[in-house]
This record gives sequence, structure tokens and C-alpha cells, in this order.
Amino acid sequence: MSDLEFGLDTFGDVPEDDSGKLVSYAAAIRQVVDEAVLADELGVDVIALGEHHRPEYSVSTPETVLAGIAGRTSRIRLASGVTVLSSDDPVRVFQRFATVDALSNGRAEVILGRGSFTESFPLFGYDLRDYDVLFEEKIELFVKLLDEKPVTWSGTVRAPLEQADVFPKTESGRLSTWVGVGGSPQSVVRTAQYGLPLMLAIIGGAPERFAPYIDLYRRAADQLGTTAHPVGMHSPGFIADTDEAAKELYWPYYRVMRDRIGALRGWPPVRRAEFDAEVEHGSLYIGSPETVARRVARAIRSLGVGRFDLIYTAGAQPVSARMRAVELYGSKVIPMVRDILAS
Amino acid sequence: MAAEGFELGLNSFGEVATDHGRVLSDAETVRLIVDEARLAESVGLDVFSVGEHYREGHNDSATPVLLAAMATATERIRLGTSVTVLSTNDPVRLYHEFATLDAVSNGRAQLVLGRASATESFPLFGYDLADYERLFEEKLDLFVRLQRDEEVTWSGTVRSPLVAQRLHPRMPAGGIPTWIGVGGSPNSVIRAARYGLPLMLAIIGGRPQRFAGHVDLYHRALEQFGHPVQPIGQHSLGLVADTDEEAAETWWRYWQPVVARTAEERQFYKPDRKRYEAELDRGALFVGSPETVAQKIATMVRDLRLSRFDLKYDIMHLPREARARTIELLGSEVAPRVRELLAKEPTHV
Repeated sequence: MSDLEFGLDTFGDVPEDDSGKLVSYAAAIRQVVDEAVLADELGVDVIALGEHHRPEYSVSTPETVLAGIAGRTSRIRLASGVTVLSSDDPVRVFQRFATVDALSNGRAEVILGRGSFTESFPLFGYDLRDYDVLFEEKIELFVKLLDEKPVTWSGTVRAPLEQADVFPKTESGRLSTWVGVGGSPQSVVRTAQYGLPLMLAIIGGAPERFAPYIDLYRRAADQLGTTAHPVGMHSPGFIADTDEAAKELYWPYYRVMRDRIGALRGWPPVRRAEFDAEVEHGSLYIGSPETVARRVARAIRSLGVGRFDLIYTAGAQPVSARMRAVELYGSKVIPMVRDILAS
Repeated sequence: MAAEGFELGLNSFGEVATDHGRVLSDAETVRLIVDEARLAESVGLDVFSVGEHYREGHNDSATPVLLAAMATATERIRLGTSVTVLSTNDPVRLYHEFATLDAVSNGRAQLVLGRASATESFPLFGYDLADYERLFEEKLDLFVRLQRDEEVTWSGTVRSPLVAQRLHPRMPAGGIPTWIGVGGSPNSVIRAARYGLPLMLAIIGGRPQRFAGHVDLYHRALEQFGHPVQPIGQHSLGLVADTDEEAAETWWRYWQPVVARTAEERQFYKPDRKRYEAELDRGALFVGSPETVAQKIATMVRDLRLSRFDLKYDIMHLPREARARTIELLGSEVAPRVRELLAKEPTHV
């Protein structure tokens, strides 16, 4: 299990400072940079930043933050999680990530997705009715761009390209690219069709229920004659010195965030019992390093994934608690998970 | 212009460098430019700006991303663009990128908006050159409003409308320094004045003094629109070396093929040695020893009432040593000498 990789993911939630006041957006962005620097020092494999366009989150352009991180880190891979390709332009996404790749000596990684939030559609003038066709056509174009040769393409969602050569070129000749999937079988099959690695967003319920998707991915790749790469999973959680401390640091902020988003999606307010159940055997990896390591190891083993990314922010958890969570993840949880899986 | 308020900066168009004859890869060039920004800061220059191009040999297609890397590699130097092709960008995405850059750099982000003299971005991003004027006009209107107002309702013909839209992350109140780059169109000068935005003159050939009329026009227009006086800057190409001869020979070797190609592509003047020497003497090339370049910049500052001068120092395949030497001499010798000359004989702005 030495190939196992561990990541930290955030949307740049605007945190509180230690006096309980929300920090500015600018400070929230610099906080993410500082956390990535710490993660790099601790040997975490990947930091992934998700694109959002809501007031709670400070990261709307992951690449710009990743470029800032590039210069202050040396090993950690720099990913999006996810880039909302549907409402972006594949040519620009390629250019931005190829630049991050150059700046970081080849550490850039794109995770393409359709996004579970839909704010970017009206913001950039896209129609939600085109949700499928936008992603389908744009990923097709993006995959062509990955060959780094002049591209000829036409479709309905952007202007056609005629032998368009796009710069800068990468040193490796290929930008590392994943597809993030939330639970659509079509998306899983499409990812296999392009031979791209799959990142499963497992944000609620027992992780085991995603086993059929992994199976589908492998079978589809097999039938289509493409490569099935190790699958990744991305789930929320938080680590503190004790189980109690972790839960109490997480819950009040999680509740506010969850209910705000739930109100938009027609969910009833979250109850403490539901939260406790998710922590116990669902998809919230919250607790002391030992507890989280045990639960992460179980999920990795039962799904057979090659990568685990922890979304370590959910609301305005204070800056100091976030830094501590990053520190415990890198210094304790990751080595413990490796030990458990090796034994 | 008072000598102490004068700013000296560098511009890069992301052009590929050479190292002892070897052409650097795109990625090596990207990293070189970040090193050059660091060098620019270490020799005390005020601003480092990056262009936006979409052609082989240029590596500045993702300007804000490049600038963000410079932000964490430096502490003091301001980081800008020269120019951002607003016409083929989305003002909302651009706002996000520069708000993020401003955060990463602790408030050092700025930009120059322009319509661009190269037009590759139009077909690449699906825009029609026939809409050149309208694209810029409408997008400038939106971009300025996004910076000045917290909540924006906007509609136009070049992008989808916004209704009571707030953007996150927010820039500081009032936005970040935003200049308008102009190549010679009086309409662009008047537009900059109408918005009360500072003016960057791109002077890449001929006698710069012919822009004096634009400077007058800008000042008069600002007054008529009821805006306070705004800074004027100049962007020109050049190279600084230890002697005039060395500078002139080095620059010619790399500039000549570039201009020859531009001449074919868009009716630019053909490069011949006589024309070249005239450009060095009285024209828009700032090529020479520190003393020569300093004298020439000081003259420009007086004649065009400039408060900022940006030297575009990279040109296709120019050796990295020559690029580094330009930056070092510009900061350590040209900048103090220009300030000294301006203190001796200040202009009356």
C-alpha cells in the first residue's frame, strides 16, 4: 500500500479568527496558502482547491491560488477539486494549468467536474438546461488539448478551433487530469471512456455504497479498452486532539453551512443525531488522529481506492483549529493509516 | 513630475529566452520570468508587469496565474499587466483572478486594460473582430462597475446580464489600480479620461513626442469630465547593457527578425539599420548604456509629463544573461540616474 496517496481539499471557506470574527476574503486566501505550505512540509501528497462562487468561500479561481502556493512549496501536488469545466473555457483552463505546471516543476493536476453547486451557470451566462452537453463537449475538447498538438474541434458550446496551437506546453507532455464524479453512472463511464482517473466525491452515507461505481469504472475501462487508473475518494472531515474536541469544533459551523446549503436544496435542518451517525459510520471523518485513521483505513480497504482526499473545512472553523487539523492529518493520520493497512 | 513620485517598471510578454544558444522550454521560460520579477524587486524596481499573448514563443497566456507565483516570490514590488486583453476576457472571471492576486500579494495587484494589437485571442475564444470596439466599451463599463460597486446589475450585448450580483472574493473597497493602455487612438484616450482612469501609452515605434497631443487631450478631457488629474505612463521596448555599442548590437540581433515578421503580418515598418539607428537616437527604442537610457527616459518624462515608465525587456530568444543585465542596470543605475535628472530639472505638472 505504499502507492497510496493522501490529499487535503478545501474550497477556501472564510474562517473565524480566534476572537470569533470572520477574516477577510484576502486573509482567507492567504490562510489556504499557509495551510498548503504546512501540508507540503508534512509530506501530504496533494492539496486540491475547489472553485466556488458563493459568499462562504474564498476560492473562485483555484489556479491563481495554486500559483501562489507553487513558489512556497516543493513536493506537494497542486490540484483543483473541482474545476467547473461546464461554465469555463477548456482552452483557458488548459493555459492556466499548464502555467501552474511550469511554475511548480510539473506538480499541477486538474480535476474536472460539473460542480454540485450551480452558481457559476448564471454568473457566466450558461443555461442549466445545457448541464450535460456543456460538460460532454468541453471534456471532449479538453482531452484533445491534452495531446498538446494543434487542435481542430467544433461543437455547440463554444467557438470552433481550426489547427489551434495552445501555449505554454508542459515539460512532461501531458497535464495530469482527473474527473470528479458525485454519483452519476454516466459520468463514471465517460471518465473510463477517456481513460482518465476517477475521483469520487463521497460526502454522505456509508462509503461502501460507492463500490458499484468503482466496479463500473473498471468494467467500462475494460470493455472500452482504456486504462483503469487507481480511483480516488474525496470526503469531509476534521481532526483535533480528541474525538470530543473535533466534533465540538466542527459541528456548530458545519450545522450553519449545512442548513444554508440545505435550504437551497430543499433539505430539512440537520439534526445532531444525523451528524453523530455520519461521524460514527458515514462520510464524516471527524475525531482524534486514531479515530480518523481507523475510519479512513477502513474506507480505503473496503473500496480499494488509491487515494484519499480529506475536505478539511466546512464553514468558519477557526484558523488555529484548521491549522491543527492539517498538522494532525499530515503528522499522525497519514502514517497511522499506512500502518493499519500494512498490518 | 516630482522625482520621488516617479515609477520605473518592467514588462514581459513571456517570450522564450536562450541560454548559451539553447532555446529554453516554455516551462523554463515561465520559471525564468518569476526569477526575473524577484531580481527586479531586489534591484529596487517599482512594478513588474506581464502581457497576454496566444502565440508560439510567448508564455503569458495565463497572466494572473504567473503574477500569483511572483506574489509569493516577492514582498514589495507591485504586480500588473501590460496589457490584459479585456475584449476577449470575461470581466467577472477577470475580477475573480485579480481579487485573488491582490489577496495573495497583500494588496500589490494592478492592471492595464487594452484592446491588444495582436488579435489571436479573437478567433481562439470565439470573438468577432468586427465587434472590437463594442467588446471593449461594454466590458470596460462592467469591469469598472464590478470594482467600484459591491452589488452590480448590468446588461449589455457582449455577455450575459447580471442581477444584483456580488462577487467573491471581494477586492478592497474601490478596487485595484486599473490603467487603460492606448496605442494611438484618440478615442481610447478620451475613454480613459471619461472613466477617470490612468493612461498607459504604448509607444513602440517612431518619435514618442508625437504622443504629446494625446497627453494634452487626456488632461483636457479629464478636466471636462470633472475627474482629478491622473498619472500617465509609457511602455516601450529596450535593453540596457554596459555600453551603447554592446546594447545596440545585442538588441539588433534579436529585434530585427521579430520586426521583420511583424512587418509581414501587420504592415509594421520593415527593419533596416538606418531606421533602427534613428529609433535608438530619437525614436521609441530605449537601448543603450545606463546613462543613455536614463537621459532618454528623463526626456520622455518631461516631454510627455509621465509619472511611470515601463521597459519591455524580453524579446524572442534574447539570452537570459542579457535579460538579467538589463534588469540589474535598470534598477541599480538607470532608476537613480533618472530620479537625479528629474530632481535637477523638474517638469511643471
